[in-house]
Amino acid sequence: MIKLKNVNFQYMGGNEAGGLSDINLSIPDGQVVLLCGRSGCGKTTLTRMLNGLIPNYYDGDLDGEILLDGENISKLPLYQTARKVGSVFQNPRTQFFTVDSTSEMAFGCENQGLPQEEIIKRVKQTAGQFAMQPLLGKNIFCLSGGEKQKVACASVSVSSPKIFVLDEPSSNLDISATADLRRLIQLWKQQGKTVVIAEHRLYYLRGLIDRILYLQNGEICAELSEQEAHKLSSDEQKEMGLRPFDLLKFPVKPRHPAHKQTFLCSDFAFGYTQSKHAINISSLELPRGEIIAVIGHNGAGKSTFARCLCGLEKKCKGMMTIGENRYDRKQRLTRCYMVMQDVNHQLFTESVEEEMFVSMALPEREQAASFLERLDLLPFKDRHPMALSGGQKQRVAIASALVSGRNILVFDEPTSGLDLQHMEEVARELTALQQIDKTSLVITHDYELIVSCCTYVLHLEHGRVQAQYCLDDAGIERLQEFFLGSR
Amino acid sequence: MNAVCDLPFEKKSVIPVDPRTKLFLTITVSTIMMSGSVGSVMNYIRPCLAILPVCLLLFSKRWKAVANFSLTYFILFALEIEVLPLLSGFWNFLLGALVGIYTHILPGFVMGYYLIDTTTVSEFVAAMERMYIPQKIVIPVSVIFRFFPTVIEEYFSISDAMKMRGIATLRSPMKMLEYRVVPLMMCVVKIGEELSAAALTRGLGAPEKRTNICRIGFGVVDILLSVIAVFCWAAFLIW
Amino acid sequence: MDTKNNKLQAKDLINVGIFTAIYFVLFFVGMMAGYIPIFIVLLPLICPILCGIPFMLYLTKVKIFGMVTLTGLILGLLALLMGSGIEVLVAGLVFGLLADLIFKAGNYRSLKWTIIGNGVFSLWIMGYVSRMFLARDAYFAKVAAGYGQEYADTLMSYTPGWVFPTLFVVAFLGGVLGALLGRAVLKKHFEKAGMLDA
Repeated sequence: MIKLKNVNFQYMGGNEAGGLSDINLSIPDGQVVLLCGRSGCGKTTLTRMLNGLIPNYYDGDLDGEILLDGENISKLPLYQTARKVGSVFQNPRTQFFTVDSTSEMAFGCENQGLPQEEIIKRVKQTAGQFAMQPLLGKNIFCLSGGEKQKVACASVSVSSPKIFVLDEPSSNLDISATADLRRLIQLWKQQGKTVVIAEHRLYYLRGLIDRILYLQNGEICAELSEQEAHKLSSDEQKEMGLRPFDLLKFPVKPRHPAHKQTFLCSDFAFGYTQSKHAINISSLELPRGEIIAVIGHNGAGKSTFARCLCGLEKKCKGMMTIGENRYDRKQRLTRCYMVMQDVNHQLFTESVEEEMFVSMALPEREQAASFLERLDLLPFKDRHPMALSGGQKQRVAIASALVSGRNILVFDEPTSGLDLQHMEEVARELTALQQIDKTSLVITHDYELIVSCCTYVLHLEHGRVQAQYCLDDAGIERLQEFFLGSR
Repeated sequence: MNAVCDLPFEKKSVIPVDPRTKLFLTITVSTIMMSGSVGSVMNYIRPCLAILPVCLLLFSKRWKAVANFSLTYFILFALEIEVLPLLSGFWNFLLGALVGIYTHILPGFVMGYYLIDTTTVSEFVAAMERMYIPQKIVIPVSVIFRFFPTVIEEYFSISDAMKMRGIATLRSPMKMLEYRVVPLMMCVVKIGEELSAAALTRGLGAPEKRTNICRIGFGVVDILLSVIAVFCWAAFLIW
Repeated sequence: MDTKNNKLQAKDLINVGIFTAIYFVLFFVGMMAGYIPIFIVLLPLICPILCGIPFMLYLTKVKIFGMVTLTGLILGLLALLMGSGIEVLVAGLVFGLLADLIFKAGNYRSLKWTIIGNGVFSLWIMGYVSRMFLARDAYFAKVAAGYGQEYADTLMSYTPGWVFPTLFVVAFLGGVLGALLGRAVLKKHFEKAGMLDA
């Protein structure tokens, strides 16, 4: 039984976002609770209170009581809370302490000092339940995001806490990995565990949730059952900033792309040492000036294709032909630009304006300003890029590409971990790029994003082109089949 | 103990050498090669110590590494024997320094490569815990091992980003340092924060004595290798 | 807020690991330059400057005695593993401890003490060069045997005895410069980006 009494919290440093005010809540054992709401509404903060990271790791002003079976969690040292509450986080890359999956699963129990035989028994049992024996004994740096997240869930499960707290666990997962995640949560539910999930993507949780808490500005402002949530009209959901529970209900507009010019990628072949991720595309013609969604399962070669297109893979010798012009790898480095999934990697300077200048052959203040204006960044031109929000950082990266005259932009998972509103913002940016005749390729697992803005689909599997089609009526049906058929 | 046998771990080593033995051997090879004297018995010991890590790699089926390192050894050896006596003055100095540095450092490097390539982090941790090294050292050291691959991954991502921006070419050294080091540190620090949070929610730092399911232990190979190492140390200290 | 406990927590130990890893990587990059023969005497200047940035960032997270000592010790252990001998381990421990005491004198906040402390910490690198001076004859005999007489003579002519104390001063200055550089970078980037707590 979790009980929060008159809880208020504000992060150190007066950061407005993410604080909570006046939370009163009790969660009986065995309930599956979904926390939803816009980014910054405080749902992550709430999960951090349940696992004790607030106030033991993140500093701030906390008052009120957070009781777990009558014990005040905020007064307990973290290692004691850890026995009762297990946590899974958003980023699969950063939640491992060890480097191989078997040790990772044992890690929690080892810290508790459980006897060796007991730990081994539990690891085996959990691996069996999660059907993940093949993942045991692997180097974690060699696993895919979905596999990592599975190991993370299993590792928490091994120490068998009473309560599971998940903070946006599906953010970086593809469709089939998300389906796996659903099965794990289902298993916990059957075992009678309490599960608290903060999440933006809701469709995969259908039929699992006992109770939905909707947060806004740090307050719980609505409480619904799942049935009630399903009854919300799509306008109401949009109003609340929620992604759909049923992907099919998400509004789609079929596009009728005017058939314009195309560009050609030929002889794109590249193999990593492991056969996974390799690509072999002898000839691929794609339309120019469209927003092309690049879809496919994990390991289909989407990222590799994008890296080859941008000229980042030295060993990929392919050519890109636009009209009369042919571009080899080095030339593509200056024609194409990739907005990386972790956009922090591509911001280098101390101000947004400086960031523009670095990309310009002749730094010119007015020209930089006009591009910043177009992307709503002008008010931030003197700020440090790293001080901006995720969406703004993404726009700075886009602006730096535009200012250096790139015509092909590649986006790697631009909407992972975004709420409805921010996802729509990305969709608007992509559409704006299309209007100035730029070609965008969007690697994504986000169905809502694709139907919101993309006009064309490139489907890769096993390093080859499986299909490519316009997103007209027939195209949308094929897309839905890909996303919903594999559920 | 039997239960451990059928639980798969990441397997890196082919011949079962205990990580403690590997550590001892690494210190032996690197120290003696770097600062051991030349002459008398050492004339026999040095080549043996130089070849030892290559042999270990060979038995561990690291074919590519064996080929690369053997070739490098061969070239250096050929240079030293055939070319060096023909040179004098500046060129003698340069080549002598180059060959000298490589023959002194390379064996230690190969041994370090073997140590890292054939030992998992869990084995390191288990070894340290068996050696009664306090948690205050074990925790940071295991984080370091966990972090080297991360730092390298991030470094390459940033390099890619620099290439796309066209700023990977030479500029002033200060700018290079700034562009590379600052984003790297920002990313690594962020990852570190998330990593700490995750580790703490899994109970790291509990006062109880930690257990470890990783199985390590000494065998015949370890005794053999240790005897060799002790003999080398004796020679090193006496001559 | 952190006054309630003065003991090293798991969180602090993880920070020690993270920053020691970054420090070591940059230090290693500097050392690579040191394999160019003559540069070995410049190492005490180059490495501390390179490492100034991560170290100053590290110090913003250090609030408890012991962390810097541990960093020195672990750097020494890594160096020992790489064959640099026991001197470096001792130097790492001693100068880590001294630096820690100096930072503590400034309560881990005072700029003046931080800069001086960084200078003292960077003296651990002297462990690498000390052998060249402390057991001079034996060292150069070995160098001559291993690297050729020419190299030994050149190295010896570049490093007369008085260089040893000078190098201490150089390393200290390197540390001070590194600290100033690190501070400038922190101000320019990390502070502006709002990534520094406290």
